[in-house]
Amino acid sequence: MLEVKGLVAGYAGSEVLHGIDLVVNDAEGVIVLGPNGHGKTTLLRAITGLLPPRAGQVLFDGKDITRWRPDVIAAAGVVHIPQGDLLFPEMSVFENLLMGAYHGPTWSGRKARLERVYELFPWLKERGGQLARSLSGGERRMLALARGLMSQAKILLIDEPSLGLAPLTTQQIYASIRTVKEGGMSLLLADENANHVAGLADRVYLLETGMLVREGPAQELLHDKALLESYLG
Amino acid sequence: MHDTQIVQAVWGGVLFGSVYGLMALGLTLVWGAVRLLNLAHGAIFVVGAYAAYWVVSSLHQPILVALPVGVAAAAAFAYVMHLVFIRPVLGKPGFDNSTLVATVGISISVSAAALLIFNPEYKVVPPVLSGSTIVAGVQITYQGLLVIVTSLALFAIVYLFLTYTRHGMAIRAVSQQMEAASLMSIPVVQTYGLVIAISGALAGLAGVLLSPSFFLNPQSGFNPMIQALIVTIFGGLGSIRGALVAGFVLGVFESFVEVFYGVAWAQPGVFILIIVMLIVRPNGLFGIGEVKRL
Repeated sequence: MLEVKGLVAGYAGSEVLHGIDLVVNDAEGVIVLGPNGHGKTTLLRAITGLLPPRAGQVLFDGKDITRWRPDVIAAAGVVHIPQGDLLFPEMSVFENLLMGAYHGPTWSGRKARLERVYELFPWLKERGGQLARSLSGGERRMLALARGLMSQAKILLIDEPSLGLAPLTTQQIYASIRTVKEGGMSLLLADENANHVAGLADRVYLLETGMLVREGPAQELLHDKALLESYLG
Repeated sequence: MHDTQIVQAVWGGVLFGSVYGLMALGLTLVWGAVRLLNLAHGAIFVVGAYAAYWVVSSLHQPILVALPVGVAAAAAFAYVMHLVFIRPVLGKPGFDNSTLVATVGISISVSAAALLIFNPEYKVVPPVLSGSTIVAGVQITYQGLLVIVTSLALFAIVYLFLTYTRHGMAIRAVSQQMEAASLMSIPVVQTYGLVIAISGALAGLAGVLLSPSFFLNPQSGFNPMIQALIVTIFGGLGSIRGALVAGFVLGVFESFVEVFYGVAWAQPGVFILIIVMLIVRPNGLFGIGEVKRL
């Protein structure tokens, strides 16, 4: 479904990713594990067009989306839930959710989609009128996730869902991601904590200094304590 | 102090105020969404007015045909300006400087073009509504009433559009968090184009509706734009509510100064008010930083 070939990307003067090859199959949960600062965020940004890659290819459902604009990539169903949530701060919870369904064909079905995300996070319904900027960190993360789910995503790219959250909220977030995955959604999740992702990972890649150094079934890699310790510290 | 003078001052003030507000609305929309200070706003006003004049004088069509043509011409002109001069520098360092220079350049070019095509004489664009009535000795023109009602209605429409419609909400989304907007499949650059076209349509409408009262020449757009800039700064850059309130405050203030102290004091009076205002509230009445964005 999503295939990345030889992806090279970076910022002015510094190359961050040095040739990434990665595959996410239909309904598969793929985790990119790596310490902070090794290129997880850059990888997701390069895939969804926020950071145009310098070389390599991104294929989605057989189409080459490497040079597509971020909004076109999103419309095609590759939906990125970015680091820092990036909510619309002066818009209400409800309006933020609606923006998730902005894409033309999705917009007409927004009511049904709202019901679906309300099922996942019931508080969104009760507090729909509240401005996004007044939410707590955990609520923001849930809203960012719910906003992404308002789209007709075929694959979700989630950037470190636990970043900066308290343990209890973290559990809640991963539980809801698991629910989404069990509904048949493909996932590409960037994380630095192997314990969080145990329930939703099918396959794991280890990312180190901009290169994928290991790949394997989650069962195997996530239980290899020695290996994980040497990479993630 | 006569009743006539007061009625004169209020009428003039509300009329000026709605005109200023109408011009400022477009300016503040573009600033709020695109962070572009559009100094070609007056030129777009002139494009709309001349387009309507041309339809009336050369095609011999009634003003009700010329009005939508003028509005459409102004919107199209603004959109093309966005395509040619704004889009290429979006997100680049130096965006502010280059767009400032570009919009001033467009402004000068439009005046020069109008001079070449239509010569410097004052043109008369017929009013949509002719006739007037006398209230307490003051002549109230129907065109003036139309301008006031139109301006208020447009504020309401723009507000409802931004608050409740898909594209209006997308404009706010883009202005608040551009990157997230693009991840929601909102086409950011096209949305900028939409905002600039709407702003152009508002300026064009102002141009067509005002030209019967103020006449039309190649420089006609300059004063309304300066007034709109003052209103926008007074109300708070990027604030729609601010543009509305500040338009009327400044319009009525100017009008009272004019009626009671003479025309010579009107402009200086406005500037004194602005200076005092900016000392007290540097962000304007409802400026960004104190109140929310779009």
